[in-house]
Amino acid sequence: MTRQKRVVMARLGMDAHWRGSIIVARALRDAGMEVVYLGNQLPEGIVQSAIQEDADVVGLSSLSGNHMILAPEVVKLLRAGGAGDIAVILGGTVPPDEIAPLKEAGIAEVFGPGTPLEKIIAFIEGINHKVSE
Amino acid sequence: MAKVFRTDSVGKIRQKKAEWQEDCYSKQKELDKEFKTLSGIPVEALYTPEDVAPMDYLRDLGFPGLEPFIRGVYPTMYRGRTWTQRQLAGFGPPEETNKRYKFLLEQGATGINGVFDYPTLRGYDSTDPFARADAGRGGVAIDTIDDMRILFDGIPIDEVSTSLVTCQPICNISIQSMYFGNAQNRSIPIKALAGTSQNDFLLETVVTIAPGVLPPEYSFKLSCDAIEFCTRHAPRWNPVSYAGYNYRESGCTAVQEVAFVMANAIACTEELLRRGLPLESFAARLSFFLSAHSDFFEEIAKYRAARRLWAKIMKNRFGAKNPRDLMFRFHVQTAGVSLTAQQPLNNVSRASYQALSAVLGGAQSVHVDSYDEALCTPTELSSLTALRTQQILQLETNVTHTIDPLGGSYFVESLTNQLESRIEAMIEEIDRLGGLVKAVKQGWIHQEIANTAYEYQKAVEAGRMPIVGVNCYRLENEELPFEIFKNPETLAIQEKKLERIKKERSNQEVERVLGDLGRACDQGDNLMELLVEGVKSCVTEGEISGVLKKHYGVWNPPLF
Repeated sequence: MTRQKRVVMARLGMDAHWRGSIIVARALRDAGMEVVYLGNQLPEGIVQSAIQEDADVVGLSSLSGNHMILAPEVVKLLRAGGAGDIAVILGGTVPPDEIAPLKEAGIAEVFGPGTPLEKIIAFIEGINHKVSE
Repeated sequence: MAKVFRTDSVGKIRQKKAEWQEDCYSKQKELDKEFKTLSGIPVEALYTPEDVAPMDYLRDLGFPGLEPFIRGVYPTMYRGRTWTQRQLAGFGPPEETNKRYKFLLEQGATGINGVFDYPTLRGYDSTDPFARADAGRGGVAIDTIDDMRILFDGIPIDEVSTSLVTCQPICNISIQSMYFGNAQNRSIPIKALAGTSQNDFLLETVVTIAPGVLPPEYSFKLSCDAIEFCTRHAPRWNPVSYAGYNYRESGCTAVQEVAFVMANAIACTEELLRRGLPLESFAARLSFFLSAHSDFFEEIAKYRAARRLWAKIMKNRFGAKNPRDLMFRFHVQTAGVSLTAQQPLNNVSRASYQALSAVLGGAQSVHVDSYDEALCTPTELSSLTALRTQQILQLETNVTHTIDPLGGSYFVESLTNQLESRIEAMIEEIDRLGGLVKAVKQGWIHQEIANTAYEYQKAVEAGRMPIVGVNCYRLENEELPFEIFKNPETLAIQEKKLERIKKERSNQEVERVLGDLGRACDQGDNLMELLVEGVKSCVTEGEISGVLKKHYGVWNPPLF
C-alpha cells in the first residue's frame, strides 16, 4: 500500500506569481496529499527541505523565466544529496521548446499554463518509487 | 429631483414585463447554465426601466466632468483628447529597454510604461544570490542611478510622461529617487516631471510577495513617504497607482479589486492627513490601476461604479470640496490572466474586447496585452500588434464620438448600482477589521484572494467557465505560430557595470548616505527627502534595501 504522498512546493528564486502554486497546493491537499509550501526559495533551500521532509515530490513553480537555470539545479543538488529518487515537477510559463531540455536535465514533468489540476494530481499519484516500509 | 421614470409608467412596465415573461419568454427553451457575472452577480434575461426607476438622473448620473463623475471625469472625454496609449515595456539590461521605449514612441505610443525586473521590484541588486537567475526577467534591471541614465538616454523626459511600474514601495523609494535624481543631473527640475509611480504596499505584502518582505506598516510608510515627497516637490507626478490590476490577476473578483484599491487609498489619505498635509494638496494625485477582464459589461459597470463611489467617499469621509479631489482617474491593463498559451493568436481577440470595455468605461490610459504573454515577454511584433489594437479602437470604430455611450442602459446602470453597493459593503468590512494595514497583518486579504482564486480555477476545471482552446475547442498537436522572445544577456552586463561603479564611486560618500538613511529610519523621517540626492552617490538599490530591512525588520507573510 502506498503511503500518503508528501509534496514540497516552492516558487523558484524571485518569481512573484503565487496564484498558480497556491492553487496547486490547495488542490493537492484536497486530494489527500501532504503539502509543505515553502514560498520563494533557491535550489539549496528547496533540496534541504525536501530531504528533511522525506518528500516524494518536489513541485516547482515559476512564471518569471528563471526555470532553465534553477530547475535543473534542484535535480542536480537532490542527486548530489543522495535523494535523486525524489521526483521534481515544474509548473508555470514554460515555452514549448524548453520542455525537452528540462526533461533531459531530469525534470519528471512540466505543466504549462492551462493544465487541469486533475492531471497534476494524477501524475503525482502515479509516482510509486517510495513504498511504506 | 429628476427621477428617470414616472412611478405610474414603471407600474405599467412591470405588469407588461410579467406578462411577457409568462407568455413569451418562459415558453422558449433557455440554455442549461447559470447566468451570472464573473464576480457572481446574477444576470436577468432582460432589464427594463423598472430596474433603474429609483434613480435620480441629476443625483446619480449627472454630467461628465461634474459630480458624481460616473459619466466621466472630464467634460469632453475622448472628444477632447484620446486616452493615453501606454504600452508596458521592459526586459534585460537598460541598454535594451531604452531601444524598445524609443521604438514604441516612434510608433505612436503616447507615454512610457516602464516595468522593472523581479530583483529590482523587490529591492535586490542583479548580483544578489537570490536575484541572479531573474536578472532582466519580467522587466528591466536597474541597480544604480547610472542604469537610470542609460534607460532614459535620448528620451525627452521633460515632455513625455513616464509611468514607473515600481510595484513595491521598497523598490519605489530607490527607483523613483533615481528617476528624479537622474532628471536633476540632466538639469530638468523635478517639478516639471509628469508621470506615475506604482508604489503600492499591497503588492509588497500580499500580491507579489518575495523573500525578505518589509512588515506591512513599514511598506505602507514608504509608500506614504513618496506621496508626501511628491506633494511637496513634484506636483505633476502621481506618486501612487493603487494596483487593482495586480490584485485581480492574483485572484480577486471585480468587487474585491475595487474595494481593496479604495481601502488602500483611504488608508493613505488618513496617514497623509495625520502627517499634516492638507487634503487638497494630494487627493487629486492619487491614481488607480484596474484590470479589464473578460466579463464585458461587468467591467464597464465596475469603472462607472468606482467613479461614483470614490466621489462619495472623498466627500463623506474626508469632506473634500475641490471637484478634482473627487475624481477617480485610472489606467487599465487587459487581463493577463485571461490569456492562453494554447492557440495564442486568439489572445488578440480577447485583449481587443477587454480594451473596448476599458474605453467604454472611460479609462484615462490603457495597455493592451500582447498575444504571446502567456508564454514569454512580448516580442517587437507582438508589442506592435497590441499598440495597433489600441489605434484601431481609437481611430476606426468611432466609439470615442460620444461620452459614456452605455450610460442609461437599463442593464449597465443596474449592474453599476449592484457593484457599487457590494464594493461599499466590502470597504465597510475592512473598516471593521481596523483598516487595510491591519487586515493585511491578520492575513485576511491573503485569505480572501486565495479563496476566490481557487474558486475561479475550480469553475474552469468543472467547465462552468469556458475558455476557448483550454477547456473547449482544443487543438491536438498544436504548433506555435510565432517565435518566442529570448531574454537578452543581463547578469553579466549588470555585474560588469556594478563592479566598475563600485570602483569609481566614492565609497566614503556611499557610507555617509547609508548612515544617514539608517538614522532617518530610526527617527521616522521621510526617506525620499534624503534619497533623491543620496542616489547620486551611485549607492545601489540593494544597499539601500539592506539598510531598510536592518532597521525595519522583515516579515513572513501568512502562507495562505
